[in-house]
Amino acid sequence: MRKLLYAVVGLVVAVALWEGYKAVGNPDGTVLFGVRVLPRADDLSMPHLWTVLERLGRPELTGGRPVWIVVVRACLFTLGITAVGFVIGAVVGLLLAVVMERFRIVERGLLPYVILSQTVPLVALAPLVAGWGGTIMPAWAVVSLIAAYLAFFPVAVGMLRGLQSPSASGVELMRSYAAGWWRTLVKLRFPSSLPYLFPALRLAGAAAVVGAVVGEISTGTRGGVGRLIIEYSREATSDPAKVYTAMLGAALLGLVVAGLVSLLELPLMRHRRHVEVVTL
Amino acid sequence: MKWARSILPPVVVGVLAIVAWELTVSLGRVAPFILPAPSAIWRELVAQRQNVWEAALASGTNALIGLAAGAVLGVLAAMVASRFKPLTEVSIPFAAVLNALPIIALAPILNNMFESTSSIPRRLVTAIIVFFPVFVNTLRGLREVDPIHRELMHTYAASGWTFARKVRLPGALPYVFTGLRQASSLAVIAAVVAEYFGGLQTGLGSRITSAAAFTAYPRAWAFVVGACLLGLVFYLTTLLLERLTMPWRTRLIA
Amino acid sequence: MSAVVVSSVTKTFNIGRTDEVTALSEVDLTVGDGEFVSLIGPSGCGKSTLLRLIADLIEPSTGTVTVAGKGAGQARKEQAYGIAFQQAGLFEWRTVLRNVELPLELRGMGKAERKARAEEMLTLVGLEDFGGHYPAQLSGGMQQRVAIARALAVQPPLLLMDEPFGALDEMTRERLQSELLGICAKTGTSTVFVTHSISEAVFLSDRVVVMSARPGRITASVTVDLPSRDDAGRQSPPFFDKITEVRQALRGTPLKTVS
Repeated sequence: MRKLLYAVVGLVVAVALWEGYKAVGNPDGTVLFGVRVLPRADDLSMPHLWTVLERLGRPELTGGRPVWIVVVRACLFTLGITAVGFVIGAVVGLLLAVVMERFRIVERGLLPYVILSQTVPLVALAPLVAGWGGTIMPAWAVVSLIAAYLAFFPVAVGMLRGLQSPSASGVELMRSYAAGWWRTLVKLRFPSSLPYLFPALRLAGAAAVVGAVVGEISTGTRGGVGRLIIEYSREATSDPAKVYTAMLGAALLGLVVAGLVSLLELPLMRHRRHVEVVTL
Repeated sequence: MKWARSILPPVVVGVLAIVAWELTVSLGRVAPFILPAPSAIWRELVAQRQNVWEAALASGTNALIGLAAGAVLGVLAAMVASRFKPLTEVSIPFAAVLNALPIIALAPILNNMFESTSSIPRRLVTAIIVFFPVFVNTLRGLREVDPIHRELMHTYAASGWTFARKVRLPGALPYVFTGLRQASSLAVIAAVVAEYFGGLQTGLGSRITSAAAFTAYPRAWAFVVGACLLGLVFYLTTLLLERLTMPWRTRLIA
Repeated sequence: MSAVVVSSVTKTFNIGRTDEVTALSEVDLTVGDGEFVSLIGPSGCGKSTLLRLIADLIEPSTGTVTVAGKGAGQARKEQAYGIAFQQAGLFEWRTVLRNVELPLELRGMGKAERKARAEEMLTLVGLEDFGGHYPAQLSGGMQQRVAIARALAVQPPLLLMDEPFGALDEMTRERLQSELLGICAKTGTSTVFVTHSISEAVFLSDRVVVMSARPGRITASVTVDLPSRDDAGRQSPPFFDKITEVRQALRGTPLKTVS
């Protein structure tokens, strides 16, 4: 309840900042030493928020469907891509974590690359794997793959931390019960990794959304909200409010995914402690 | 022998992966647009080193300026937020929500708000993306003070400002660097990816897309390698900085 | 003048709430100059609360606390006491020497002077060679010694210790006990020492104050006079007699009460 209140307060502050800057800002932006340091505040660059809301209700093109339907459909399309990517990424991350936990040598050989994969902008590969679309897999699957690539990392690292979190005495206790690796995994390591897993999944959800949006843009996949942002931003000179409707859609998508991932943990985490997961 | 145990496995894995990649491509006759061979990428990298260097410089400048701006703002904002408890309570869930949004998608809008020939929009996107990990981690660090330290400073009759300077800030440093580590790689990713959304065509991101558009895939991959090296430089520099700033930390990554 | 005077102090936490609890009830305690007093009792008897009241970390609900003739708050502001806890509570980003310097620094003492003083304190606890180390590089016993050196740095007339050796192993514990006694004898510091170890209390103290729980109050006060405070003292019959006496006081079947 209080969180909801905070969210509303934050939203009001954001709206006030936007309209406030629009009211006092220089319509042509503020130029210092030949560099525009503050953005233009004219209607073309920063439309009034009510213009954006009103634009949602009007047709996309003359005589077409209203913009909000188009945006929601695009979001659903991207949501599907995100979900596939998230699931693939999470499964791969989980398996990787289990294997790394089981074999120290694999951890030593692989973990540096897992961390490396996040410190370097491998997502820059997106335009390159675009060539895979339509040849070895459908175009949307390529986008899912990019989303999965971004999502696997927090799960792999968070889960590895979680699997390694039981104390030595816990492991020795399982050993005294003559429990093998598998039973130790199921009875001890999995349950104790849950507090690490869920924050990691939340990170993975957010990463999958970014991956899907960026993937759509760089592979030129049509139908999703990422593509919509690019298309609408090209019309910004004639129809400035339109691109903001697509932005709203992307924000909504991010929130929905975050909410869905949080739902996953509700039944399992009621009586558990919460830990902070630092993945990098 | 200790370093051999930690260095050897990754090196072996790396070499094996590159050899396997090379063999798959050359023996499997994989078309270059699917996956070029590492040898072809290397040749292009050597041939294009001047272009790669210049593009990396452009992207690196954007990333660095965005990183610096976002990090400074993040730390300052966290210091302000930590002073007022209600503000802390509002800002943490709010930052979590904002972090779930695809902020990178702001790039085209910022291109409209400024001008598409300016570097400001992508630096701004980078700064915004960097802001969140730095802000959230710093705030966490500022809030977590060892209760014994609190009591001890109380027995010294230390003022609020002394307490902040001697205990709160140094105690938060490890958290700041946790944020900075995440931020340093995010900055490079953001600076490169922001170029996919249009705007000035000088950095690695636009070079990759244009090379891909000309179906010069090995060349595009060479620029990707450049981007990877840039990201690595940022990350390792942050690690080094962390080491120098906090000599009392014996382990590099906790 | 007495080092500490606690008179009819009551401390109630969470007043007016459902979880209201009386930690201390009508407690009187006087610690003489140069006296070593231990507080002992079951957990929840308020011995740590009493120490924190003397340190002005919390305030009494009723009653008064005076330290060296001044109010506890005033004494704290003048750094009239040094304090050490069960956890060493060192600042990990400061070297050992700079940790000991901290209270002097906050007093505004000059750089050279406080360095000399801190080195002197480290010598006192036998760590003169470790000034440049970081706390993470020291063992638990060494960290606790640094904490004691830090507590002594301002050369306070009063030392407050809350189970400072509680987290250490028995061997380290006994060595530090002897060292502490040596330091107190040398500096003439009065000490209030909270512990849950009977033998530790008896070995260290001029007087062992026994407390009981719910509500916390002082039930007995046992004066200890050992022939010597060294390994021979640990073996002497009076040592074991006093241990028995404190143990019986703790169980509430006093043979005789000495006040």
